[in-house]
Amino acid sequence: MQNIITYLTLFFTVLVMQAQTETTTVNADAAPTKYQQGMQKAFQLWQDDKSWEAANVFERIATAEPDNWLPPYYVAQINVINSFTEKDGTKLKAQLDKAQNFINDATAISKDNPDLLVLQAQLYTAWIVFDGQQYGMTYSAKASELYNKALALAPNNPRMILSKAEWDMGGAKYFGQSVEPYCKDIQRAIDLFATFKPAGEFYPTYGEERAKQVQAESCK
Amino acid sequence: MKISVITFLTLFLPFFFFGQNPVSGTVTDNSGVPIIGANVYLDGAYDGASSDVNGKFSFETSETGTQTLIISYVSFEPYKLTDDVSKMQNLKITLRDDVNSLETVTISAGSFSAGDNSKISVLKPLDIVTTASALGDFVGALQTLPGTTTVAEDGRLFVRGGDASETQIFIDGIRVFTPYSPTTDNIPTRGRYSPFLFDGITFSTGGYSAEYGQALSSVLLLNTIDEPAQEKTDIAIMSVGGGLGHTEKWEKSSLSLNASYINLAPYIAILPDRNDWQKPFETASGEAVFRQKIGNGLLKIYGAFDTSNFALTQEDVNQSEGVHFKLNNQNFYTNASYSEVLNEGWTIFGGGSYTYGNTKVGIDEAEIKDVENSAHLKLKLKKRFSNRFKLDFGAEQFVTGFNENYDEPNFAVKLGFNNNISAAFTEADIIFSRKMALKLGVRGEYSELFKELTVSPRASFAYKTGKHSQLSLAYGDFFQQPENEVLKFTNDLEAQHTQHYIMNYQYAANNRIFRAEIYKKQYSNLVTYNEAIPDVNSVFTNSGDGYAQGLDLFWRDNESIKNVDYWVSYSYLDTERKYKNFPFEATPSFANTHNLSVVAKYWISDWKSQIGFSYQYGSGRTYTDLNEPGFLQKKTRGYNSLSLNWAYLLSQQKILYFSINNAFAFKNVNGYQYANTPDSNGNFARRELRPAADQFFFVGFFWTISDDKKDNQLDNL
Repeated sequence: MQNIITYLTLFFTVLVMQAQTETTTVNADAAPTKYQQGMQKAFQLWQDDKSWEAANVFERIATAEPDNWLPPYYVAQINVINSFTEKDGTKLKAQLDKAQNFINDATAISKDNPDLLVLQAQLYTAWIVFDGQQYGMTYSAKASELYNKALALAPNNPRMILSKAEWDMGGAKYFGQSVEPYCKDIQRAIDLFATFKPAGEFYPTYGEERAKQVQAESCK
Repeated sequence: MKISVITFLTLFLPFFFFGQNPVSGTVTDNSGVPIIGANVYLDGAYDGASSDVNGKFSFETSETGTQTLIISYVSFEPYKLTDDVSKMQNLKITLRDDVNSLETVTISAGSFSAGDNSKISVLKPLDIVTTASALGDFVGALQTLPGTTTVAEDGRLFVRGGDASETQIFIDGIRVFTPYSPTTDNIPTRGRYSPFLFDGITFSTGGYSAEYGQALSSVLLLNTIDEPAQEKTDIAIMSVGGGLGHTEKWEKSSLSLNASYINLAPYIAILPDRNDWQKPFETASGEAVFRQKIGNGLLKIYGAFDTSNFALTQEDVNQSEGVHFKLNNQNFYTNASYSEVLNEGWTIFGGGSYTYGNTKVGIDEAEIKDVENSAHLKLKLKKRFSNRFKLDFGAEQFVTGFNENYDEPNFAVKLGFNNNISAAFTEADIIFSRKMALKLGVRGEYSELFKELTVSPRASFAYKTGKHSQLSLAYGDFFQQPENEVLKFTNDLEAQHTQHYIMNYQYAANNRIFRAEIYKKQYSNLVTYNEAIPDVNSVFTNSGDGYAQGLDLFWRDNESIKNVDYWVSYSYLDTERKYKNFPFEATPSFANTHNLSVVAKYWISDWKSQIGFSYQYGSGRTYTDLNEPGFLQKKTRGYNSLSLNWAYLLSQQKILYFSINNAFAFKNVNGYQYANTPDSNGNFARRELRPAADQFFFVGFFWTISDDKKDNQLDNL
């Protein structure tokens, strides 16, 4: 289990860095709306390493934009990411409960959304990292199923391909098996990232750098 | 000119004009400590700020008129203030602790829980199946917890001086009437239900909720999995049989099936034991769980069928040729429940179970045929008034029909009874703060058979004594009808009664748990009769009584030694009772003074193996030495057993599993059987009651086939 943990912690560190490159996608033509201003402000705070303040801004936007899944998605994502380094069980539970509530809110707005499924899988992973003995068995099965489902919903989304491949590689490494079968998936993700266009403004775009890093580390 | 500028601004740039409404204040917790990073904002607007290092916040808003200000921070209850924006200045806001937090005190007196998200789990789901001595039987794993007594030849749960019938088992809140496969003397039984289908277990050794009745000592609550993680097929090939499981999922429903076949014939052919088996133990069983989501509700239907048979001749001191015993049992259990979260904090739960048990037993010439039909219906409503106050209430009905035909060459009799019990209960959960919680309940039961009404109050209280420690107290009155073995002869009795007083201290931090519990149990109205084995002519009364008191200690540590998880349980028990045909109060043979369990698991990454170790010690148990005056006046020597297991992961989905029970082959004596009549010297001959086999070996291969190629059956072992 330890290998998977180190692995995923690494993955999330990179994820944070990439989620923040988001800020550059601004519609320059029209005067920014309150929503755009708010989102930009939040991403700016996140980039400035003030992730909790960023989460607060996303949370405010979520109350003002009850039909948009992105603000609750980012509130949840920040809580999940910060949980990977949290050692205090009480805080961890509070953060993950909060993240779960926001994932539930976002899912109510946008059903069968592969990005939300992957985030849910990452939330389970945070529990596994915290206490593998207690949560490992049940939550890793649930996470696996979510990665499968996300990929089935978006078979050509490079982020889904990468997420599932990385999860499977973590398992294979843990059991001392070859990760080689998954390298073609990583290559495919990299190819698709080259032409990947997010579905809309402020949509998640992370993953390309991570895919290249995985390829360099595990697929010679 | 001045005026027109203002008019202009008012008309065209209301933003500038009204954009100056300041909102400001300070956020603290209830002890006055500033809260840093709280989110302060107007509901539905973009305007807001985070509180700074001094808990101060300020921002400006273009909103006017009546608005709702929300202040939220993780692990505190959100605060809402609805007022005119102009008045939202220099606010002093105190956030209340969110009592849903992990830090909130929990009532832990008397109960152990194993589950995913319970606040403090003494056992983890995996433990049920990776404890070396348990051999996949959840009851076996629970026997390593304090409060239980080692009665190795029986296999059931004996809790705090109570006999096995004093523990009741519930699946999804609905009673299981025949939880154990019937067996004969000196052959331990196993729980009927596979741990595979359950994800939450609560084992209460006393002082439990008013929701549960008809148990003098203990309740064991098993919850079936709400939603299985994924589709998969499990194959098990074992030295004693085989098993097959499959889970199928659909959009809103899922079905899990599990079938197994056990036959001890090959094992006994290779490793004969002390019994002379004509037909070694054979059992076939099937279980199914179907789950369907209906709106906000969940319907679960569980069904289990099993059939088992065996025939053997057991040594007997009174019969040189031995006693011939054969048994054939069919058991069917089904349980359906529906729960739904309604509006305004209401939750409804309704369910029912039906049990059919058919047992044919042959002892030498006698043929005994028992048929039991039992049902349980339950309706429960829960109202959540706030996070701090919840109320449960419900009603239930138990129906049991029991018939027995007893046939001997020169004698035959038909016995039977119908036992209907109606019950109602209510319970309030009050959380005063994170430090203090109280649970108050009352339960009323009416027995149609006895025309008797019983009322049992229950109360428990918990107080947090430090960041990681807490103290709990519990009190309760418990009633239980006598067993079928008595009711089939008479209905001129009353319910048996106990009172529990429990004090529990718990410390939990950094993957270490320490629990200490002292208790006192007072028994009254126990059933007595005037013959060793009751029959139609026996005289039954409710004049028995007794007590049990003791100390239970538990320590679990998953932190100090790398890759090692271990726990130690110790129980001290002092108990005496007068019941059955006891001439006076005495310590029954199933109760011993000291019990110790040590369980350890070691994960060796390089070997992809988990090695398990489990040691159990029970001090001597009482028996009556007929050659000396007295009753239950002697004690056997202590019981020792050390079990080992090894789970080896061949690949992600294939596991090889070995286990040995009593690896050092300690010679254990569970008691003595004395001759009915003395020999020519006036001595009663006796025979040691030894386990049928000193050791048990098990080899299994478990293979899981699932889409993700990752799941395995480690959690089934």
